[in-house]
Amino acid sequence: MPAASWFSALALVDTRQQYYRLFDIYVPIAIGVFALIVVLALFAVLRFRRRPVEKAAVWHKNDRLEGAYALLLTLTVAFLLYLTFSAEHQVDTVANRQRAAVTIDVTAAKWEWTFFYPAYGITIRSGTSGVTPFVVPTGEPVRFNLRSVDVIHALWIYYTRYKHDAIPGSTQVFTLAFPHAGLFDGQCAEFCGLRHPDMLLAAKAVSPSAFAAWAHSHTGRSSG
Amino acid sequence: MTAVATPVERARLGGWIGGAISTDHKRIGLNLGLCALGFFLAGGVMALWMRVQLAQPNMHWVSDQGYSELFTMHGSTMIYLFVTPMAMAMAVYLVPLQIGAPGLAGPRLALGGFWTWLSGGLIMQTGWFTSGGAGRDGWFAYTPLSDGRNTPGIGMDLWVIGVILAATGLILVAASVLATIARKRAPGMSMLRVPVFTWTELVSVLMVVGAFPVLVLAMVLLLIDRHTAGIFTGYSGAIDYQDLFWFFGHPVVYVMFFPFLGASAESIATNSHKKWFGYVPFVGSIMLFAALSMAVWSHHMFTTGGVTNQYFAFTSTALVIPAGIEYFDMIGTLIGGAIVLRTSMLFGLGFFLQFLVGGLSGIFIASPVLDYHAEDTYMIVAHFHYTLFAGSVFGFFAGAYHWFPKVTGALLREWLGKFHFVLLVIGTNMTFAPMFFLGNYGMPRRISRYPDHPGWGTLNLVESIGAGIIALAVLTFLINIVVSLRRRELAGDDPWVGQTLEWATTSPPPPQNFIGPLPPIESYAPLLDLLHKEQGRADEPEEAPVP
Repeated sequence: MPAASWFSALALVDTRQQYYRLFDIYVPIAIGVFALIVVLALFAVLRFRRRPVEKAAVWHKNDRLEGAYALLLTLTVAFLLYLTFSAEHQVDTVANRQRAAVTIDVTAAKWEWTFFYPAYGITIRSGTSGVTPFVVPTGEPVRFNLRSVDVIHALWIYYTRYKHDAIPGSTQVFTLAFPHAGLFDGQCAEFCGLRHPDMLLAAKAVSPSAFAAWAHSHTGRSSG
Repeated sequence: MTAVATPVERARLGGWIGGAISTDHKRIGLNLGLCALGFFLAGGVMALWMRVQLAQPNMHWVSDQGYSELFTMHGSTMIYLFVTPMAMAMAVYLVPLQIGAPGLAGPRLALGGFWTWLSGGLIMQTGWFTSGGAGRDGWFAYTPLSDGRNTPGIGMDLWVIGVILAATGLILVAASVLATIARKRAPGMSMLRVPVFTWTELVSVLMVVGAFPVLVLAMVLLLIDRHTAGIFTGYSGAIDYQDLFWFFGHPVVYVMFFPFLGASAESIATNSHKKWFGYVPFVGSIMLFAALSMAVWSHHMFTTGGVTNQYFAFTSTALVIPAGIEYFDMIGTLIGGAIVLRTSMLFGLGFFLQFLVGGLSGIFIASPVLDYHAEDTYMIVAHFHYTLFAGSVFGFFAGAYHWFPKVTGALLREWLGKFHFVLLVIGTNMTFAPMFFLGNYGMPRRISRYPDHPGWGTLNLVESIGAGIIALAVLTFLINIVVSLRRRELAGDDPWVGQTLEWATTSPPPPQNFIGPLPPIESYAPLLDLLHKEQGRADEPEEAPVP
């Protein structure tokens, strides 16, 4: 059914995919603009070098040309903002409307992460004591409820191209997806004191059936 | 001699004391600039120390706490004690000369500001000598990490007090410059005949006066928070602190940018023997730039969940418009010029082209979705070093080579200057370009150790070698100053066919700045107007010959 497939296409928001959707437009434009300005500047310098001072032009403005150029810049801004706002809507709004396959309550503390699965009573710790991966299913929305008990930390899993701050006194909610199976490194990204470099973590993405088996066999257990 | 010493007479008081309490704007500007340069060298040594630690994975050259003190004091020294005060020093020295004034309005304000700032800087650095070490929560000292429980110790208090005094001092200096531009312009110099550099300083001092009091407030509250009442408590307290800090912290980024843009623009226009292109749109664009820059602060907080990301993405992306106009004007100035590639010109071009990397990466991280990955990583470190080092510091050197003859009466050695430039371009790009890749591969900022991921050790080693080359370049600059002052090549009043009024007086200028009548002021480049008249070209059209 077309309506259903349209709906399911919307269903999984992948932050990594949204990142590259923008990256693949922003970066080529930036490289193009950089190259254009460098070439123009070098051309002008080489072309107008070592001329007698009397040859230097007296003219020094062209407001109509500059106005047209400013309009072009404004349109560029509008284009970039359209792309950004539509991607951000997916990441910050649509993603959190998805029905999560699994919810993980993450608590950040100096200098350890605690990943708690309320549905299964599983607790995993990672940080200065060593890195123990937390487990997620592939291809399904994973909800994170992020808290901190002391200072500001930030949960960052490079693979997802997403991070979020853990700020004491609040629960920050976000939803990530792991389309591929694998072991993905992460780490605290907000400086949080002495052992900040050791506040490491890892996510292990496995198929939904393998995840169900893992969750079943680990129910009520604590590790890491 | 009269009973009360006039400013001119006080400037003539010999020795250290006379120089230290002089109200001659040139003396205050030099004192401020030289002290800032000293802090630049100190901050540079801290950077080198960090680059040794990071040269290879899992090094133990400094302790974790030592490293956090280093990055905190490096950033704080460079921002509060070098780039911003250097921007103000250039204003204090050059603005009265450019607008044909005999001195500053409220010179004692500027003098008091200099001493307040300097005492703040020294107090901040005394943290190194306390048993607990210097400030160690980064240059923005987020709460609750910076509260009394998480970072106890006198070193952090000294850091807070140092920032309060340094910022207060800079507000006083900026107020004096602002009053000078408002009240002391020479007859004939309307606001639309104010030189480009002075315009960039004007918007900068407006932002200092508008935004820095909020930093002083935030730091006073932080000091109280550290010792008595919890002020920045809970989630809203943490967000409030960040809002207050960045309300200062983003405008200061532009205070550290505009004057060096202005210096580069003056050097490019002078060495192209043309007026800066598109003056009126340029002035409009930096005013738009300044207005927007007061409204972008929370783009530092996209990942907090506590701000309206769309609004700050909008204002931040809109910076494309004024920034784009400045590049248009730079190209417009070069085309049709008679270009001489002196050292100051090379640094001016270096400022524009390298800053572009920082500017374009700034558009990238103005997008929240892209920033969710880039925030707090080496991508950010690369971005702001391309703006502040590859940009502002190059602009500072453009200004230094351009105005050194005016300040000292002696020319800097061109061959040493070009050597300095080449070394600095190589060192800068080796140090900061690999950071974009490291950040994208997953290296967060502010970590003293990193694991041995493929390629990380190599990229970091390249950066550390680059930092060493930067140090050699800066050393070359210092040698150039010493050599040029020891064996003087006299500059004369105007070695470059200058365009603005400072080139119409002696080098260095006399205490009252100008002897005899000023040349007529009919545009933002009065001396170039005179030259065009002598050449019989004053009637040529102002409009560029393009449709």
